[in-house]
Amino acid sequence: MSSGKTQEIFSYTSSILKEYPREQRFLLAILQDIQKQYNYLPREALTIIHEYLDIPMSKLYSMATFYKALSLKPKGKYVIKVCDGTACHIRGSSLIIDEIQKLLNISPGDTTEDGLFSLETVNCLGSCALAPVMVVNGKYFGKVTPKMVKKIIDEFGGQNSEDI
Amino acid sequence: MNIVIDGKECRAEHGEYILDVAERNGIHIPALCHSEALPGQGNCRMCIVEIIDNSRRKIVTSCSYPITKEIEVVTCSEKIKKMRKTIMRLISARAPSSDLIKQLSEEYDLPPETKFKIDKEEKCILCGLCVRACGEVGAHAISTVNRGTIKKVSTPFEETPPECIGCGACAYVCPTGAIEIEEHQGKRTIWNKTFELFKCTGCGDYFMTQEQYEYIKNKKGIAIDGLLCDKCRKKSTGEKLKEALCNVVIKGK
Ligand code: SF4
Ligand code: FES
Repeated sequence: MSSGKTQEIFSYTSSILKEYPREQRFLLAILQDIQKQYNYLPREALTIIHEYLDIPMSKLYSMATFYKALSLKPKGKYVIKVCDGTACHIRGSSLIIDEIQKLLNISPGDTTEDGLFSLETVNCLGSCALAPVMVVNGKYFGKVTPKMVKKIIDEFGGQNSEDI
Repeated sequence: MNIVIDGKECRAEHGEYILDVAERNGIHIPALCHSEALPGQGNCRMCIVEIIDNSRRKIVTSCSYPITKEIEVVTCSEKIKKMRKTIMRLISARAPSSDLIKQLSEEYDLPPETKFKIDKEEKCILCGLCVRACGEVGAHAISTVNRGTIKKVSTPFEETPPECIGCGACAYVCPTGAIEIEEHQGKRTIWNKTFELFKCTGCGDYFMTQEQYEYIKNKKGIAIDGLLCDKCRKKSTGEKLKEALCNVVIKGK
């Protein structure tokens, strides 16, 4: 990573840390803020948090790998979440996932090489009436059929990036 | 107070764990994640027993259930045996490669596993004792990583942990021998890290890593006089005591 980027992460993380008392119970909130900013947890940020809160790196790493909302790998610009909870599963969410996998050439948990899309499955989004549901960066799509998937991805520039 | 375990009256202190009282009275309860140094882990569930309190029955883990009143405990009824066998089956599906687990699977007469996907190489039952031991030492080099079916014990970023002092406490407490530790020609390798070992000035055996020595001396501020292993230290303390006693006796004359 370039030193400019490292510098940027350092100052952003420091500014986040200033907003919280120096107590370990704020760890999750801090990590969420960092995740929100970068779409993942840069290692540099973790190092600073580890020093600031005087919390073992092993504990940080344990937490960062425990929560689905946190990620150590950079995520795509657009995060596609497909619900695979009971209702969505019954209504064919696996077909939706297959279709996305085919179109973007990634498996759940992965990010496209151009860094545009990440694919994730989640266990319930609480919108079972709309099953099967997929969400792209917070935008909900209900009653999705495999046919609709391409259009949705195109909406976020998927097709263009494929063509180039 | 008195409690009854399998029909035997046993004396128990308030707050003592059932398992400890049973052991003291010669009643054996199977246990995997029980360590005297790190009590109350309560993760493997092998030590389950049934307690009867005012004719109300419930199943508890004896290694982490504190006695607060006069109860009756049943450690191996048919019901408990059946439940324990199921638990053993799950543990054996989880860690089929551990010698202890293999041996127990035989003892429990478990059929070959067909229902669960198993990792033939796996030895860890995820009891968490190692992580706790490392924390108690103060190194905090390892932790549980991920969750669900891919949960495991590991180091940050799966790298060689700078915090590890090579004390081997994790491998020592591990009930299933899941943590690799190797000692060879004055060197110890653990968590992918190799340490130089110090020799005991008493018996000449290698016994402690350089990092461990520094850690105890500098971080914990405990003075170490002479590099003696546990056995030799006990011996030397014993000899000093004997000497002191002799002096007292001589002076007394
Ligand atoms: S490595 Fe051993 S001590 Fe650590 S969690 Fe696994 S079984 Fe328990
Ligand atoms: S020994 Fe009690 S739960 Fe493991």
